[in-house]
Amino acid sequence: MFWQQSSRAVRQQWRLCNGLRQHVAKSSPSAFIPHPARSFHAARSLLAVKPVLLADIGEGIVECEIIQWFVEPGAHVEEFSPLCEVQSDKASVEITSRFAGVVKKLHYDAGEMAKVGKPFVDIDIQGDVKQEDLEALTPPEAPAEENKPTPGPVAGQSSTISTPGAASAAQIQGSVPSAPAGHVAPISTEQKGKHASLATPATRHLSKELGVELSHVPGTGKDGRVLKEDIYRFLEKRNSSPTENASPEPPTPAGLVSSDIAASGAQEETPMPMTRTQEMMFKTMTRSLNIPHFLYADEVDFTSLVELRNRLNKVLHKSGLSDGQVNKLSYLPFIIKAVSMSLYKYPILNARVDVEGANGNGSSKPTLVLRSQHNIGVAMDTPQGLLVPVVKNVNSLNILGIAAELARLQSLAVAGKLSPQDMSGGTITVSNIGSIGGTYLSPVVVEREVAILGIGRMRTVPAFSTAPGEEDKVVRRQVCNFSWSADHRVVDGATLARAAEVVRTLVEEPDVMVMHLR
Amino acid sequence: QVYTSPSRNPYLNLAIEQYLLRNCAKSSTILFLYVNRPCVVIGRNQNPWMEVNLDLLRCGIPSPTASSKHVPVDLVRRRSGGGTVFHDLGNVNWSVICPSASFDFDRNRHAEMVSRALRRLGVADARVNDRHDIVVGPSEKETYKVSGSAYKLITGRALHHGTLLLSSPHLPVVSSLLRSPAEGYMQSKGVRSVRSPIRNVDLGNEEFIDAVIGEFGKMYEGGTGVVDVDAETAGEATWIAEEMETIDSADWRFGQTPQFTFSTHPTEEDPRPRPPLP
Repeated sequence: MFWQQSSRAVRQQWRLCNGLRQHVAKSSPSAFIPHPARSFHAARSLLAVKPVLLADIGEGIVECEIIQWFVEPGAHVEEFSPLCEVQSDKASVEITSRFAGVVKKLHYDAGEMAKVGKPFVDIDIQGDVKQEDLEALTPPEAPAEENKPTPGPVAGQSSTISTPGAASAAQIQGSVPSAPAGHVAPISTEQKGKHASLATPATRHLSKELGVELSHVPGTGKDGRVLKEDIYRFLEKRNSSPTENASPEPPTPAGLVSSDIAASGAQEETPMPMTRTQEMMFKTMTRSLNIPHFLYADEVDFTSLVELRNRLNKVLHKSGLSDGQVNKLSYLPFIIKAVSMSLYKYPILNARVDVEGANGNGSSKPTLVLRSQHNIGVAMDTPQGLLVPVVKNVNSLNILGIAAELARLQSLAVAGKLSPQDMSGGTITVSNIGSIGGTYLSPVVVEREVAILGIGRMRTVPAFSTAPGEEDKVVRRQVCNFSWSADHRVVDGATLARAAEVVRTLVEEPDVMVMHLR
Repeated sequence: QVYTSPSRNPYLNLAIEQYLLRNCAKSSTILFLYVNRPCVVIGRNQNPWMEVNLDLLRCGIPSPTASSKHVPVDLVRRRSGGGTVFHDLGNVNWSVICPSASFDFDRNRHAEMVSRALRRLGVADARVNDRHDIVVGPSEKETYKVSGSAYKLITGRALHHGTLLLSSPHLPVVSSLLRSPAEGYMQSKGVRSVRSPIRNVDLGNEEFIDAVIGEFGKMYEGGTGVVDVDAETAGEATWIAEEMETIDSADWRFGQTPQFTFSTHPTEEDPRPRPPLP
């Protein structure tokens, strides 16, 4: 809940999606991350369109010029029908198709240099496919890549994100099977020949992709054949015990250890493909690794706020002061408004760091870019995982407005219908893990922001009264812990402490807000 | 299997060559030998305006016998890659069609075969160089190219063919023919020819052909009947006729030129200084 979808990543995904429209999006349930091709574990789309690699034409030639295309997108090709002619030095080579199907996309124009070993055409394959032809499609998996430490392949992936456009489409398709499957053990090739279990080549390919041992999957097809559905069912069973929950604490990794492993005795490793949300989280968090965090935590007395909220909710319930949407206020709108008010005094917390000087800076000196609008991202735990929609322009909203917007975003998030607009443009983030549990936490600052506030659980504690003359009396107090993290490259402890104090004052004495009413 | 063609028509011969490439048994190896009347043959992906002096071509080259007469010269674009060569009656073209597996293994295989034939005929210093050409010459520094080769690969089959300068009377004119005045103004995506000094081997056509057939027979034992392709019936066979028509068309000859730019003054993409306009 502490991570926010980086606006840039979402925008680029959107562009990529438009370029990749031919990829069948049968499996993507929602539209909020519009990126069906990233769901590499839905193999139905894999079989539909595949990129065909340019085979080696000998003599160590790495690239050659396409002289002429014999097909265009939409053309039907049979096995052995000519696709194109390429020229390298003295050899003029005619490339024929290994598959029957429909040409979907040409990766190069006539006259361009095509690279050997990279995709040069996408074909929608129809009919049976031989195993060795399928091998020709996936790029040779360099075993070294799979075992590299995770920042490696992720860095490779984020660079493919940042090149929108058709040419990267096939590379993504090619890199997606190998890169995020950092934990997919490379299935040895001897499996394909010696497998005793019955399965069609398509199913074998799927099982290889997903890292599933065919012999483990009970087959329900003819003669005990393993079908694609069997593989999916097998995976589901395996995935249902390990977690899909996306609200882990940052220190612990997203729950990988399933409860039944402890029972079996031997260590079992079950590679599991990541969901889209998890992948996004992975990428965003890896980018956030650059930020040196420091934590500032404090305990805030919520007693007054609790009273105020109760009073206000009674009023709302009775008279309906709001426009009908909000009839009950939670604490979050108050906290968000308090944060926004402190941002007026300490605008550095609403800034972002620009390292590359892409903003016409010219030099590569890092700059601090101040922002006028307070767009406060609110981390939400949804069925899809961690999402951080943004409440825009909090400075111009009142508490009711914030509450209404929060309700709207919440219902969209639960339904999985958040738009890219809702997810982008955040300047600071608030994360209420306290609604699930926890007191202190160390939230991770989101890319393109410099601070984040984590709110713990509200607890009732005994404390000494502050009323004059009664300092020995023990009273009940409602407290809540605020844990701030900030980017220490630009924010120093004193600034954050002062800002946190402002928020604390506003929350502890919410009537102060009345003074600031406009 | 060995074929020879009695025809001197370059279009027909090239069509027959393609026919043999596409239609013969997948595992067979074929040798095809033919001689063309004077013509300039450019590679599949070349630019005629950059490679050939088309003006000179149109006028024809002076006849060796009667210097006032001019011999017409064809311009042909072949289907295989590579550079531009000049064919005439003193030049024998050899073509080997074989399964692509054996070809991938060694691209020089058949060039070696031809140079063995030459050595057998007394040309002791015939050898194959890095560019798969056959050269003669006393030393590494002084080599003369006598044969250039080119390849075409299709599914399962490979074609390797080359020229052989035996006794061409037109050698002096070849260099001016293959030098285009427009070269300095153009920048092209296609394949550029690599120039080399050339020389005749000074052998007769017949004896060369026999020697090559002999070497071929040694390499590929098994029935090699030499078949003289009947020019007429070959010309009538539909496939060959269509192929001839294709390669004799302006669309193929000029229209298959890859993208190029022509400008009389330096541009951003091509900042070379231009030679003075004629």
